[in-house]
Amino acid sequence: MSKKTRGAGARGGDAPGSAAATDAPASTALAVRGTTSVVEPIVVPNTLWRAADPTAYGGGQESDITHLREHELDPEFRRDNARWTGPLEVIPTKADYVLDLIRMNSLWPLLSGLACCAIEMMSAATSKNDMDRWGMFPFRASPRQADVLIVAGTLTTKMAGPLVRLWEQMPEPKWCVALGDCTCSGGRYKRSYSTIEGIDRVMPVDVYVPGCPPRPEGLIYGMMKLQQLIKDRRGHWPERAIGPTVPDEV
Amino acid sequence: MTATSPRHASADDPRVILDEQVGVFEPIPPYPPRTEREAEFYTLKDGEMFINMGPQHPSTHGVLRVVLKLDGEKVVDLDPVLGYLHRGVEKLCENADYHQVISQVDPLEYVSSLFCEWPPVMAFEKLLDVEVPRRAEYIRVLSGELNRVASHALFMGWMALDLGGLTPILWSFIERDEIVEMLAALTGQRMLFNYFRIGGVNGDLNHEFMSRLGDWMSKATTQIEANAGLLNENEIFVRRMRGLGTIDTATALRMCMTGPNLRATGVPFDVRRAHPYSIYPELDFDIPTRDEGDCLARYLLRIDEIRQSIRIIDQCLHQMPDGPIAAKLPRLLRPRPGRAYAGIEGPRGQYAAYAISDGTDQPFRMRIHDPSFIHLQSVGLLMPGNLIADTMAVMASLDPIMGGVDK
Amino acid sequence: MDPLFRRRLEARFAERLTGPIRQRHDETEIRIAPGDVPDTLRALHDEPEFGFEFLADLAGVDTGEVMQVVYHLWSETTPDWLRVIADGLSRDDPRVPSVTFLWKGAEWMEREAYDMFGITFEGNRDLRRIYMPPDYQSFPLRKDFFLADDAARSPGGGVRHMERTHAPSNTKTAALIRKATSG
Repeated sequence: MSKKTRGAGARGGDAPGSAAATDAPASTALAVRGTTSVVEPIVVPNTLWRAADPTAYGGGQESDITHLREHELDPEFRRDNARWTGPLEVIPTKADYVLDLIRMNSLWPLLSGLACCAIEMMSAATSKNDMDRWGMFPFRASPRQADVLIVAGTLTTKMAGPLVRLWEQMPEPKWCVALGDCTCSGGRYKRSYSTIEGIDRVMPVDVYVPGCPPRPEGLIYGMMKLQQLIKDRRGHWPERAIGPTVPDEV
Repeated sequence: MTATSPRHASADDPRVILDEQVGVFEPIPPYPPRTEREAEFYTLKDGEMFINMGPQHPSTHGVLRVVLKLDGEKVVDLDPVLGYLHRGVEKLCENADYHQVISQVDPLEYVSSLFCEWPPVMAFEKLLDVEVPRRAEYIRVLSGELNRVASHALFMGWMALDLGGLTPILWSFIERDEIVEMLAALTGQRMLFNYFRIGGVNGDLNHEFMSRLGDWMSKATTQIEANAGLLNENEIFVRRMRGLGTIDTATALRMCMTGPNLRATGVPFDVRRAHPYSIYPELDFDIPTRDEGDCLARYLLRIDEIRQSIRIIDQCLHQMPDGPIAAKLPRLLRPRPGRAYAGIEGPRGQYAAYAISDGTDQPFRMRIHDPSFIHLQSVGLLMPGNLIADTMAVMASLDPIMGGVDK
Repeated sequence: MDPLFRRRLEARFAERLTGPIRQRHDETEIRIAPGDVPDTLRALHDEPEFGFEFLADLAGVDTGEVMQVVYHLWSETTPDWLRVIADGLSRDDPRVPSVTFLWKGAEWMEREAYDMFGITFEGNRDLRRIYMPPDYQSFPLRKDFFLADDAARSPGGGVRHMERTHAPSNTKTAALIRKATSG
């Protein structure tokens, strides 16, 4: 794995050379092209405090891990993820299939409603259109416990930082659902000076649910589509796909 | 990973990306302080600390960030940080047609969209000197009061949810879903209705709406009493809310509060009676007030308002005249140059619009005045001395909607 | 429309008004100089014959030539809304005394006017940005702040085919663009 030197002040996308060497699948015809690099990691070194016990927190040494991307490419680490199967990468085993079924039937969304679509998300979660039928009732407040980030509502430039931080704090496997027009493409606020035209500019999205706001049945349809994606082991990132992913035109 | 990874990050380490400008993350405390209030807030006394209740938190208000200054569990001071949902609506309205403004302002207070459309439409009608047909006014009041009931029912659920009760929110959403399906039959949309037009409304009452409304009205009162009864007698609910976040009349007027928050302190100020608009002078309803000014009073007051709204809906149905539902207006509207202000009583308070026209087909300035924005200022007054868990209760009782706060 | 109210205002504030009192529908409008704002509003608030205890709205306005701050007040003594326009703020350094000594609730409204226009309210203890991030440099609602695709409205119509929208054109903005780019 080649490491390009990224000096101080480097911003913007991943160094294309190192990414393309390992991430691009053999045939690019059907792969979802998007950005293979997740947004830049937000790394803030700890200069604020020092632990009282000098051996705590790893002895005060810097952690080796600065971003999950390093782990995605590390062969030893990939065992813990639903989408890798080690040496039998091409043939999913029955165990992985069962794991995928388990994950798809108990998707726990993160409680992160931003604007009007959040009301429809809550409406989909409550009694009349019950998302609990698919196991999605517990809206976890902590990103560490959540599987799927349903971004419901307009993403503004001020909120983009915290939202991406939430996304990065969610552990793998995770999926993202863009609920509503504002998250799909900017919606009715596309021309505004302070909104982000679609969250796929800052994070990878698995399912887009259009509408302003989409009906709760629409959200449920989107979640069922996500369950289908999980079951068929497809998703946004092409390097994790086993078999063809959703083509560009779809 | 690699054997030769350096222990301390340096600028040359390829795994560490040092970003010079991380503009979206403000350091706490900001240094140097930009204003007097910041300097006062961000100086810590002995034993105090800051906790950031970030834009994502378990309460359902939306993206509001609150920096709490704590002494143990007691909140000493707090500083709300807004803007996480600022969508630039006022600027977009300046670049849109007069008709497009209506759909732009809809998502401001998204649970009570019709009240968001009403003031701009009224202001434009003043600029154009258009008279709205009586039937249209009755339909506006009818759908508006239905939206008020839905909004207050949702408030009830959120109030309980922020105190930890998970059942009332489900009951509230049942209520709300019924009303909202009714309004969907009338307007075509469940939430951001885009129903009012300059000079009237978009569509007349139809059969499905009337049948759903009839069904709902027949059981509305008993349903509201059942929902309220779930919480009113609940000892935990009442004891947590009584005496919490008390505002007195002078403070409320000084903080420019309106709506149920002001009426809970004893001031019977309701824009529908103080500055009547539409056909409210012809309708017979009371203005409930309460004297205590605490969270419980605000909650009970909103339940009272639901009852009054049902009364208004009943009268509208009985007194509904025949006639056109919208005034005839040209498609390209060029009002006379001038200014117009229109204020209405929304579920949260006085919702107003100030429109300036310069004679072209786009408004020159579209200013929206939102009550949630004003009420959120008071949280800093009400919180000191209370515990962290009460922060959410106080904010829920003021009933802010972040779409309106941030515009 | 309350003609008695208009006469009372003219009698009390004759020397401070910078323009005629306008009345239309249910609104009465007076214009004053920015320096007179604290005295006028305090008089309107405190004196029992006016009794404007309720500040309904505080807005900033950029007319293209000058800036204004507009206050809307309500009182029990008259059925009209009162609009007080503090007119004549310069667009380069607009300053107005703050009214937070009368209504603490005006603090955030003034912060919003500062954030959107750059109007400095002297006496506001907390004048920092409220909607935009704290390091944002521009003031979005000013007339010389253009949204991204306003290039399409310019007299040139934009460079590329995609930039020509068929939305109604805003002649005022076009005039300002011409003035801003030329001057």
